[in-house]
Amino acid sequence: MNAKANVNKVWKVISKQKAVIAIIALMVMMLFSDTTFYTAYNWLDMLRSTAVLEIVAFGVTVAVICGGCDLSVGGTLCLGGILAVMMVNNGYPIWLAFVVALLSGAVVGFINGFLVVHQKTEPFIITLGMGMLLKGICQQLTDAHPLTCTSLDFMQIANKKFFGGIPSLVVYMLILFILFFCLLRFTSFGRNCYAIGGNYEVAKYSGIKVVPIKWTAFVISGVTATLAGVLLASRMNTGSSVYGDTTGMLVNCGVVIGGTSFAGGVGGIVESFIGLFVIQLLTNCMNQLGISGYAQTLCEGILIVLIIGADCFGRKLKRERV
Amino acid sequence: MEKTTDYILEVKDICKYFPGVKALDHVSLSIPFGVVYGIVGENGAGKSTLMKILSGVYEKDEGTVIFNGETIEHTTPIQALRRGLSIIYQEFNLVNTMTVGENIFLGRFWENKGMRGTHKKARELLDSIGSTISTYSLVGDLSASEMQMVEIAKALSFDSKLIIMDEPSSSLTSEELKKLGIIINQLRDRGVSVIYISHKLDEIFEYCNIVTIMRDGCVIDTKPVEELTRSDMIAKMVGRTIENEYPPRAHFVGEPLLEVRNLNTHKLHDINFTLHKGEILGLVGLVGAGRTEIIRALYGADKVKGHEVILEGKPVKIPTPKQAKQAGMALVPEDRKREGLILPFSVESNITMASLEDLTHMGIVDSSKEADIGKRQIEALAIKTPTPETKVVTLSGGNQQKCIVGRWMERNPKILILDEPTRGIDVGAKFEIYVLMNKIVEAGGAIIMISSELPEVLNMSNRVLVICDGRITGEFNPEEASATDIMDKAIG
Amino acid sequence: MTKTKQNSVLEFFKQNLVLCGIVVLIIVTAIAEPKFLGAANLNNVLRQLGPLPFAALGMTFVIIAGFIDLSIVGIISLVGVITVGLIDPLGQGGALLVGILLGAFLGWLNGLVLTTCGAMTQAEVLFITYGMSSIYMALALIYTQSETLRLAKSEKSYSIFTTLGSKNLGIIPVVLILFIVILVLMHLFLRKTIWGRAISLLGGNKDAAYLVGFNVKSTMRLAYTINGLMSGLASIALLSRVTTATATSGTNYETNAILCVVVGGTTLKGGKGSVLRTMLGVVLITLLGNCMNMLGLSTYMQTVMRGTVLVVAIWLDNRKEL
Repeated sequence: MNAKANVNKVWKVISKQKAVIAIIALMVMMLFSDTTFYTAYNWLDMLRSTAVLEIVAFGVTVAVICGGCDLSVGGTLCLGGILAVMMVNNGYPIWLAFVVALLSGAVVGFINGFLVVHQKTEPFIITLGMGMLLKGICQQLTDAHPLTCTSLDFMQIANKKFFGGIPSLVVYMLILFILFFCLLRFTSFGRNCYAIGGNYEVAKYSGIKVVPIKWTAFVISGVTATLAGVLLASRMNTGSSVYGDTTGMLVNCGVVIGGTSFAGGVGGIVESFIGLFVIQLLTNCMNQLGISGYAQTLCEGILIVLIIGADCFGRKLKRERV
Repeated sequence: MEKTTDYILEVKDICKYFPGVKALDHVSLSIPFGVVYGIVGENGAGKSTLMKILSGVYEKDEGTVIFNGETIEHTTPIQALRRGLSIIYQEFNLVNTMTVGENIFLGRFWENKGMRGTHKKARELLDSIGSTISTYSLVGDLSASEMQMVEIAKALSFDSKLIIMDEPSSSLTSEELKKLGIIINQLRDRGVSVIYISHKLDEIFEYCNIVTIMRDGCVIDTKPVEELTRSDMIAKMVGRTIENEYPPRAHFVGEPLLEVRNLNTHKLHDINFTLHKGEILGLVGLVGAGRTEIIRALYGADKVKGHEVILEGKPVKIPTPKQAKQAGMALVPEDRKREGLILPFSVESNITMASLEDLTHMGIVDSSKEADIGKRQIEALAIKTPTPETKVVTLSGGNQQKCIVGRWMERNPKILILDEPTRGIDVGAKFEIYVLMNKIVEAGGAIIMISSELPEVLNMSNRVLVICDGRITGEFNPEEASATDIMDKAIG
Repeated sequence: MTKTKQNSVLEFFKQNLVLCGIVVLIIVTAIAEPKFLGAANLNNVLRQLGPLPFAALGMTFVIIAGFIDLSIVGIISLVGVITVGLIDPLGQGGALLVGILLGAFLGWLNGLVLTTCGAMTQAEVLFITYGMSSIYMALALIYTQSETLRLAKSEKSYSIFTTLGSKNLGIIPVVLILFIVILVLMHLFLRKTIWGRAISLLGGNKDAAYLVGFNVKSTMRLAYTINGLMSGLASIALLSRVTTATATSGTNYETNAILCVVVGGTTLKGGKGSVLRTMLGVVLITLLGNCMNMLGLSTYMQTVMRGTVLVVAIWLDNRKEL
């Protein structure tokens, strides 16, 4: 009886911390390989490569915690980058480029919020369609050609190094990480998000203004996606409509892998960070081991199916309890 | 503030109508400060409706509510809370994914200056009712009694003057119940009034000062608890005049048809019973006693730990509803809209969906036969629908129910299981369903009927099984047994 | 009396919004650009229909059953490359057959994975099929090593494909005739057979269908198998038309298929719908694309148009009552 209870407890921890376990497993595996995996450079590089996706994920996490989902972030990210590059190329100051880009994200988020929160549409396919719409706009804006930025200052934003060697993207990511962490942890907005996602009716009856708050969550998701887009454009020194093709699905999957559930109300920024990092780590490990890019796509697919499938399976067991 | 009244809550002549039903009929109550006020009544007596009006979930149609000297016209749940009226429902109003502390101050995060203040304040509240639950644990991980403590603490955080507890004991163990008793006494000593709604009369006698008995949306009697005896109370709960709303009882009971042995699930314990040909077997019990679970397990819809089913002398295995259907069983589920009907579909397809296999030859459904079946059942059951193609969602409750019954009638089931067959149905349609039941048993079928309406069971069935806490606690012949006896067993 | 007449006219328009849309579109474009109704353009339109109707047809079944399938991107890509690869070893007939069966198998596999982990909500299904899609796509990548496979490089005859791809019977392309035959069969399947009925009932109310004795899991697998089979056919049609196959040739088919289904009027909530309506959706979307072409709008604007139509269609669908 006691042993069984213990087994149950262990199983519960495992099922909750799937992502952490995956990280540990990968790290242990890499101990036995003769690669440059365990170098400061490699880890900084991993953080830098994942920074843009992480930033997108921070915003998406807020929407998902509220019980939503935002698959349009790929398109939003694209749009932000392209708008910023176009503004800068046309001689507008960089700060204005940022403002305009972020505003566009806010508009997208506002429309998503209207459809999903105000009109109570299922968020999944409608945000997918929104992503497609934005993709088309991006292609139209750039004629589907990459748009190189002519301003060196703009490029510097994401390619600088701070404190003698830390990539600026990593620093931005960490700042946003702390910002979002505090937002969700220490503000009534953040706590109300958890309440709305955890139990919409109870939140409503407790006097929480459910619609405006959830709506705002979608706006936040849009704004962070454009911010990430601008940073990506700065990093690559280009705005292009090919960025962000898989971002929407990947980020949302990463958020779920980390333990934030589409049912809403659980998870957080730390979880999402870990979830996205697992995907990056997997890629990095396979790169280090010289596994081809194709096999990497395969592993990514298997990872998504396994972890989200395990999530469903857990709920199924709960439903069919004897 | 000067007290302008002796009563925390006065309710005068409240009426509430639902389509076709008068849920509350001139209900009046006066609840003094610092008492525990019991409200008892059968399922559907109107207790929950009254509470929902008080808490602002429903609007009242007539009458006045005076809370703490203030006449209240419209209210919302949050306004009611802020005025000092809290309700603790059977299904707790808590966010399972959040911590205890945050649930107590849900939506009021910054009133206590952040997370630390919230938990500190929550700790104080929990300490004040002698609870040791950590404010940092997740509500989803708590036991039912602990959740109740959280709800009480939440009520106190609003400085509630009146706390309504709706069936607070239904999920508590006897130990936990004792604790609850202590807390209720504490609350009373602080001057907080408690409305205690329960089926369980022992608790009413133990905790309450004044008791109101409700039946069919009316207040039957209000008395100090000392002046009532248990049998008085039960008599008043069930004692309704039996009108001529039932057809004469059918007497066609034959040899055993179905035998169920050792049915066990996580909610049911050692269920054994026999069903005879031509019999109407009534399953009676309070909501949540395990009635629906028994028939779902029997029908293969829920998984079971183990059981033996013997049908017509032969053991059969029924792992899924498909096999149940093949064995000649039919289920009319409790929640018509969620489990019974396909709302956006036509009347005809809702009727034929159980018989499709019989109309199929080489995979092709014979649509002319399908239309025949639809027409035949619409006629046979007198389903009021403009055309067979009309969407079933537009029909009245009674006609919707007849569609589900008709679906199974077409297959001449050996065993028809009816779960609350007359819920939300007007009187005329009820009678038609009763007549139909008698026809089925006359043709040699057997019926298992679950119902929360005791008179219905008493008038229709040949035998009654009483379920309490997942066990069969009594068996009665309804022609001899009184409602009081049955209620006694059901209350446990 | 006139009022009821008015109402019934209004009702007719409401019920056949798509049909009206098509008629209006044809008239407007024909006035703006007379070439639109020329034989050359009509033939062009018929040819443009190509693989999309097959994909939309399959998707209709999954959506009627109350689910969604993003994996057809992977299925179309994988089936295409495998079919080309098999022409030499198996001959064209064998390759064709294996290709189509492979599609059905992959669809069945989706169903198996979903029923095994008990995915029931749209969110769960969406992400798992996305993962499956990555897996199929990765397998295609591994198989082709990112090369473009060309029919012309096969040593054996591939006349079936060229016939399908470029031959006409009268003015009607062969592939369209094949499609119409399949459309009729699938329509009858959905309406007349018990399996088709089971799929609709499942989408209407899973619990009710289960309690009436339908096997929910096997019905779900059936819907996915049909979708896989149709995706296989779509892949063959695509291969025949473009005579090449790559590991990414299925890209965007999932959103376009969903678009056609939703525009046709099949609700994403499941239960209600018809393959014929989906075909109206396909015709409308294809015509709209063609019109935009004729009027000289860029292909990117078409993406914008599709995204907008998808978002608006889902929104309107959600506002409709039962």
